[in-house]
Amino acid sequence: MTAIYLIRLRDFVLFTLVQVLIFAHIHLFGYATACIALIFLLKLPRHTSRNELLVWGFLMGLVIDVFGNTPGIHAAATCALAFVRNMVLERFIPKGFADDLVPGVKSIKAGRYISYSSVCVLLFYIVLYLLELFTVHYPLPLLIGASLSTLLTMLFIIVAEFFTRK
Amino acid sequence: MQTILNFLIKHNHWFLFILLEGISFMLIVRFNNYQGATFFTAANGAVGGLYSAIANVDTYFGLQDENESLLAHNRELVEENALLRNRIAELKSREALFTDSVVQQIGAGYNFHTAAIVSGNSGAGNNFYVINKGAHDGIKSEMGVFNSKGVVGIIYQSSTHYSLVLPLLNSKSRTSCKVRGDNTSSILQWDGKDTRYSHLVDLPRHTRIAKGDTVVTSGHSAIFPEEIPIGVIDKIEDSADGMFYLARVELFVNFSTLSSVFIVAKDGYEEQKELERKITKE
Repeated sequence: MTAIYLIRLRDFVLFTLVQVLIFAHIHLFGYATACIALIFLLKLPRHTSRNELLVWGFLMGLVIDVFGNTPGIHAAATCALAFVRNMVLERFIPKGFADDLVPGVKSIKAGRYISYSSVCVLLFYIVLYLLELFTVHYPLPLLIGASLSTLLTMLFIIVAEFFTRK
Repeated sequence: MQTILNFLIKHNHWFLFILLEGISFMLIVRFNNYQGATFFTAANGAVGGLYSAIANVDTYFGLQDENESLLAHNRELVEENALLRNRIAELKSREALFTDSVVQQIGAGYNFHTAAIVSGNSGAGNNFYVINKGAHDGIKSEMGVFNSKGVVGIIYQSSTHYSLVLPLLNSKSRTSCKVRGDNTSSILQWDGKDTRYSHLVDLPRHTRIAKGDTVVTSGHSAIFPEEIPIGVIDKIEDSADGMFYLARVELFVNFSTLSSVFIVAKDGYEEQKELERKITKE
């Protein structure tokens, strides 16, 4: 049990560090950024409790915020993602799958995984851009930014799938 | 109780979610300049809106007092309005005074006041009028009183705010006058009977006066300026002793409808009086 959490902690540190040290500095077209740290949240097993997801998500957002000097913005977005993750996942996987299922291309097929990931990531970015622009009066930059960032992030999520063990 | 507790436990992730989002939001508005400024501006706006809404509701509870104060204010305004109306009327009459033909021919050297008749009578016997200007307004005894038609009388006495006018229609009244054209000086005196007529009493028989001649002030007395109309000669008779003519003068001023008058004072009137007094003493 402890071992599982240690591994999760290791993954958490790894993903977060890669995110804040490398990916946080990528700004494509002045709009799109990639948030590959979300992979950690997306790939937590199916039966992970919402509370645990929320805590992981909040901590991850907080670390990204500390490094990016945007206190609270990423934390709020990752919390939102963590909160809806289980609901979204249940929508995309059919009955009969194991409780400890880890979402991935191999476990639930590419289509489902991509759909599930894009919904989560898009939600994350909408919340993120809402908080960053802090207004609802300019929906166009918000939608463009959220869509482009989601596409970019999805690209990395799919690429990351090829490196997954097993 | 149990149900509520169960409910809370079952949905504990909601509370965690709200808590974490709350913390995030606090961090956002506390440590991000732009978001913080936007949030607090909006919050101020919202609070301001709330306050104005409360004030809006609050207003209704104050309507009673508001009404009373409005009524009081209204009353004050009505009073002020009346005051201003009076003032305007006064100024208008003063303006009329200066455009009036009677006054125009008087020329410089005289001060004018306007006044309204407060009480008085015009009938048989000795008439008096009271006007609403007194010593406070610069009215002194023996100033001339007239209106746009002609001579009314002279100031007899003045108290602080009121004055007594001795009109032509008083047997004590002796007005120095002359017949226009002939320039014969005479004295106008009332016989105490008809309010429309007065009489020129000591016209020498050599004078050439005729019916229809205009009688005006002579200007000798320092009370009236020269040439203020008094009336027209209506009938010429012999006096009782047959030494003089007795001319009945139809007065221009209609005393029965008299309401406002002008008062005229000659500049240097006091000086002239003083001089005259010296002469009579010696």
